[in-house]
Amino acid sequence: MPEPVFDYEAHLAACGRGERQALRDLYVQESPRLLGVARRLVRDTALAEDIVHDAFLKIWAGAAGFDPARGSARGWMFSVTRHLALNFIRDNRREIQGDIDVQNDAETFDAQVHSSRIHLCLEQLDPARRSCILHAYVDGYSHAQISNKLGTPLGTVKAWIKRSLTALRECMG
Amino acid sequence: MTIRPVDETPEQLDELASEYVLGTLSADQRSAVQQRLPDDAELRTAVDTWERRLLGLTDFAQPHTPSPALWQRIERSVNALTRQPAAPAVEPSSWWNRLALWRGLAGAGLAATLLLGALLLTQTTVKPTYLVVLVAPQDKAPGWVISASNPREIQLIPLGVAQVPEDKALEFWTKAEGWQGPVSLGLVKPGQTLSVPVDKLPPLQPDQLFELTLENRTGSPIGKPTGPIQFIGRAVKVI
Repeated sequence: MPEPVFDYEAHLAACGRGERQALRDLYVQESPRLLGVARRLVRDTALAEDIVHDAFLKIWAGAAGFDPARGSARGWMFSVTRHLALNFIRDNRREIQGDIDVQNDAETFDAQVHSSRIHLCLEQLDPARRSCILHAYVDGYSHAQISNKLGTPLGTVKAWIKRSLTALRECMG
Repeated sequence: MTIRPVDETPEQLDELASEYVLGTLSADQRSAVQQRLPDDAELRTAVDTWERRLLGLTDFAQPHTPSPALWQRIERSVNALTRQPAAPAVEPSSWWNRLALWRGLAGAGLAATLLLGALLLTQTTVKPTYLVVLVAPQDKAPGWVISASNPREIQLIPLGVAQVPEDKALEFWTKAEGWQGPVSLGLVKPGQTLSVPVDKLPPLQPDQLFELTLENRTGSPIGKPTGPIQFIGRAVKVI
């Protein structure tokens, strides 16, 4: 049986009209995934919950002004959460090499089977370059931290990321 | 507002958008992009497109179930965001003649300003964990602020000098959810800043009630509030 489709746009529009239950439904639907994203970035569960708290306030306050032409409502919820977390780590972590323990990184990138287009496009990247993209997007590592983690010169990391993004753009359209 | 660099090519703009979404920009570069976004439609479109392209990478983060307290916290904050100003008084005069409305509006604005001000003031020393603005129940005019920055004592700070009849006194009370009744924190002189030890009480809770009632000069004879409430407010946890 197909999973019933959750209508993010309709729920967000309802939030825009001040319907609290719609926010609750969005929370039930996505908070574990949003918290997972924030937690991987800030590396602290309590801090990640603060980020998700702020994200839901932003979602509530911004719902009425959300423009569906700019992208999906679900995507917007993730963008809001990620950028709050990224702002936090960029503002609060000192950008020196090795300032976070990137060597003992327990979590890896082999999750479930991924079938979406981005995963097919990632497959086409050289493994070291794919790591750069994932460490940046998923872990929130800076260029310097990735260079430290992979033992690759900073300039090379920057060039790899630039070229990988170009390749992803071509592949994704 | 930030002006786009004059020599920025479409390729550079797209590159900036891509690294903004990827997360590799520095704090300064990020805030520059965020300042441009509201007024720069091209950059916004580029960022939106990159958000859409890379969204699937969020699958790599393991989902994590939030603690039950998180939703309650969000709900409280949403309530605070959407709380309506005090209901206007019932006089049949024009709305702009309604003193209570203006007091209420000024009160609501002032309360927000005070919360912010108290936050800013205390930021440099010790950040309070809880703040309470005590307002008059009728017109919501703020009269006192409570700041709790350590578990042993709270500060009661007057915002003006409350009028108390000669033969009366203000008594300070608190009650958290699940308590049998309010607990007296002692008598308060109008206009006086007071440090109240609370180490004999359970830890402060969000929404914990604080109030000042008008009692006999020696305080309530029965250990429970007997007189009218002069100021009332609930504790807000400072994020």
